[in-house]
Amino acid sequence: MKATIFDIKEFALNDGEGIRTTVFFKGCPLRCAWCHNPEGLSPAPELYIKKNGCRNCGLCKKDCRHPECKPFGRCIHICPMDLVSVAGREWNVNELYDMLMRGKAIYESTGGGVTFSGGEPLMQSEFLFEILEMLRGKVHTAIETSGFASENVFKKIASACDFVIMDIKFISGELHKKYTGCSNEKILDNAKWLIRSNIPHLFRTPLIPTITDTEDNLRAISDFIGEEKIELLKYNTLASAKYASVGRVFDLNISSEEVSIPNVSFFKNATVRK
Amino acid sequence: MMNKALYNFYIVDRSYREMYRKEFDRNLAEEFHSADLSDEERLIRRFELLCEKEVAHIHDFEKIVMLRTNKNIPECFTDGEWAERRKNHYIHENGYVSNLSPNYAKVIEKGLLHFRKDANEYGVRAIDACLSVCDRYLEEARKQDRQDLVKIFSQIPRYGARNFREALQFFRIIHFFLWLEGDYHNTVGRFDQYMYPYFIADIERGVYTKETALDLIEDFFISFNKDSDLYVGVQQGDNGQSMVLGGTDKDGNDTYNMLSELCLIASEELKLIDPKINLRVSKNTPLSVFEQCTKLTRAGLGFPQYSNDDVVIPALIKYGYAPEDAINYVVAACWEFIIPGVGNDIANIGALNFPAVIDRAIREAIGSAKGFNELLERTRSLIFEECDKIRASIHDVLVAPSHFMDILRDGKKYNNFGIHGSGIASAADALVAVKKYVFDEGSVTPERLISALDSNFESDAELLHKLRFEAPKMGHADPEVDKLAGFIINTFADALDGKTNCLGGCYRAGSGTAMYYLWHARELGATADGRFASEPFGTNFSPNLFAKIPGPISVIESFTANDMTRNMNGGPLTLEFASSIFNNEESMRKVAELIKYFIMRGGHQLQLNAVNLDTMKAAQKNPELYRNLVVRIWGWSAYFVELDREFQNHVMLRQEYTV
Ligand code: SF4
Ligand code: SF4
Repeated sequence: MKATIFDIKEFALNDGEGIRTTVFFKGCPLRCAWCHNPEGLSPAPELYIKKNGCRNCGLCKKDCRHPECKPFGRCIHICPMDLVSVAGREWNVNELYDMLMRGKAIYESTGGGVTFSGGEPLMQSEFLFEILEMLRGKVHTAIETSGFASENVFKKIASACDFVIMDIKFISGELHKKYTGCSNEKILDNAKWLIRSNIPHLFRTPLIPTITDTEDNLRAISDFIGEEKIELLKYNTLASAKYASVGRVFDLNISSEEVSIPNVSFFKNATVRK
Repeated sequence: MMNKALYNFYIVDRSYREMYRKEFDRNLAEEFHSADLSDEERLIRRFELLCEKEVAHIHDFEKIVMLRTNKNIPECFTDGEWAERRKNHYIHENGYVSNLSPNYAKVIEKGLLHFRKDANEYGVRAIDACLSVCDRYLEEARKQDRQDLVKIFSQIPRYGARNFREALQFFRIIHFFLWLEGDYHNTVGRFDQYMYPYFIADIERGVYTKETALDLIEDFFISFNKDSDLYVGVQQGDNGQSMVLGGTDKDGNDTYNMLSELCLIASEELKLIDPKINLRVSKNTPLSVFEQCTKLTRAGLGFPQYSNDDVVIPALIKYGYAPEDAINYVVAACWEFIIPGVGNDIANIGALNFPAVIDRAIREAIGSAKGFNELLERTRSLIFEECDKIRASIHDVLVAPSHFMDILRDGKKYNNFGIHGSGIASAADALVAVKKYVFDEGSVTPERLISALDSNFESDAELLHKLRFEAPKMGHADPEVDKLAGFIINTFADALDGKTNCLGGCYRAGSGTAMYYLWHARELGATADGRFASEPFGTNFSPNLFAKIPGPISVIESFTANDMTRNMNGGPLTLEFASSIFNNEESMRKVAELIKYFIMRGGHQLQLNAVNLDTMKAAQKNPELYRNLVVRIWGWSAYFVELDREFQNHVMLRQEYTV
């Protein structure tokens, strides 16, 4: 079994307890206006060209004999600055398992483990289920999900891992649709199920100035989750950095001056992460 | 509470430097030469003359006093004499004593008069000159009615210190005169151990609370910065004022104490480049100590540096150090392991250029070799050849006398020489690339490789990409590269093993580079790891600058993959972290856990930096706004804006792990 993965990060600091490795699955059904992983949106491998440092030497545009470059129309084996690459490659489940198990000692000694993120990891749920099963009882596993998946898939995956980190972006279906392109019906249903389940979990809300951080929205979220633990993430203005590299346009215009922490005192159990 | 007046005077304002300091403008070398004086006489006479000129300055806001008023230390030998000396001798660096750690504990306890009775003529004169300066301080204290200092200078340095404050002032006196003698890279040693009895007695008697003790320690720490711009080094900041904290005792107990903790806090609060903090740790060091240290790392000074007692002590014993000396080890200016009180090692006497050796081996063996093993054999014989050359060049070592330093030492028990090894990652990466592409896969012909190297990759961009960005690298936790690194490291140790140096000591192979990461690299063409001609190596025991690294865990695994106990001259792995990761408790704890992981895996020495690339860029543009920005260089930290561009740029190129 194979999955398309666009990054594997060691020593990921914001994805759960202890020292962790985070695996980023490629592909996401949502299109959040503030998404800071644009290379994680499309499920297929795609060209990723960094602009900073390009000498315009044209080498990457010349014909090459590498079959792997053909689909992209650029040579990925020639740039002297290493600016041209492909985001996303296929991983075999055993290969991923071996690579993750190498960190077992440090995960164990620090109470850490492995986190599956994305994109949306539930989009490749069969593979995800398989790797979770392989790791079960050996290393601590967590997922980071938007919760946008069918009830069956969500339950199956959530039950197979040790910890679930789930986003709640909006309570209003209309706003959710407007800013992520998708309805939040399934998401809220899955969240309700998660609250009732005995699976350890954490909710998260990205604080996007004037979009998700409005008092109305935050109060609605607070009412929805009640006593549940939630992390409120401060917006990082570097979100736009990678868009041009994958040929996408970032429409959100938020300057660092606009980023502030709103009133969140009404949350029962929230922490703000800067 | 930091003493603002003191800080402003010495650190911010700095006008005392112009106000108090006088040029010593006699040409002593010529005078000594015409009088045909012996080396011993020259050194003592210079010391006496400088002492005569020292003027006592005391300020009402300082507790620990003494600052230097001689702007310069004049030469003792003429150029002609130096040329003559170099003809028949190996002269290390500038020919004076350096990188030693005296027996502070004993001197502070006994007082100088205790040593005077057994000292030779020069020792007596050195002590007398020193006392005459201290008496001037006593007089000045009387004049200003500083009863505290009158009391102190009536006791020390003639007699031993009776309390913590006297002990600190005594240290300052010793250190002051070592520099004035012309000794340099004078280290601080196990400060929290030899000061502890004075400290804890005063705490127990209620003389200080933790807070007031911290104030005094900060006052003392500032004293390291009063004259430090006068101390010689490759760059401003390279002055060897290294302080060692913690460490395992002979029963295996961790000696980290309340004073160690206060030193960490003082350094963090003051954010000064001196003293440089080193921590001795082991598998028994609790995580809380690493957390405390990580707070200091966050301050961005490049401290503390860690060394692992579990591997350093047994390795030193292997070299022939007595166990009671080995457990007492400290670090020299940067990271070289030395023994306080009895050591006379020259821990940085030479350096082997690993990438140059590997490059030569590749060029000589690649065409004719029947297999990769032949290349390894060639590598082995070249490393031996180079080490023999280095050893042959070091004969009849001549170091100018150091009378004051000699009083503070119990003989010269150890006379070992340390040889650095530069560019290990570049060398191992080159070997593995040749193995993989030329020998195993056969995808690159020897001719293609050599012509690409000769053209500095102008002729072959595709091969450059392959070697530089696609090949396995140290730092990937790839067993094959790490094994080859082990081969190079062990061969280096083999080549020096059992050889006796001209002072009767042994040679120690090291993992440090000092400035050789620039010097050696400058003279070397493009190499098979995809490195361009003249492109710098990584500092010390660290990955190639351009290697794409999965993260700090892989780096730690690569750099702890090999047994280093036969290469224990010192030289740390450096990890650079974006300063933004230190902004919350949880991440700080994870960094502490990472350090512990390194130690548990048997890593020998580690140094972490919190770096902010944007700040450095801004500082290059507007240096005047960033006078206090500190960065780590190779074994010392410096004010960024005082560095030459070459050093600044290298710091900015290093690997940095972000969240
Ligand atoms: S090869 Fe690299 S530097 Fe040259 S044009 Fe392409 S992206 Fe730019
Ligand atoms: S759910 Fe996450 S990955 Fe998907 S678009 Fe939104 S922010 Fe990006």
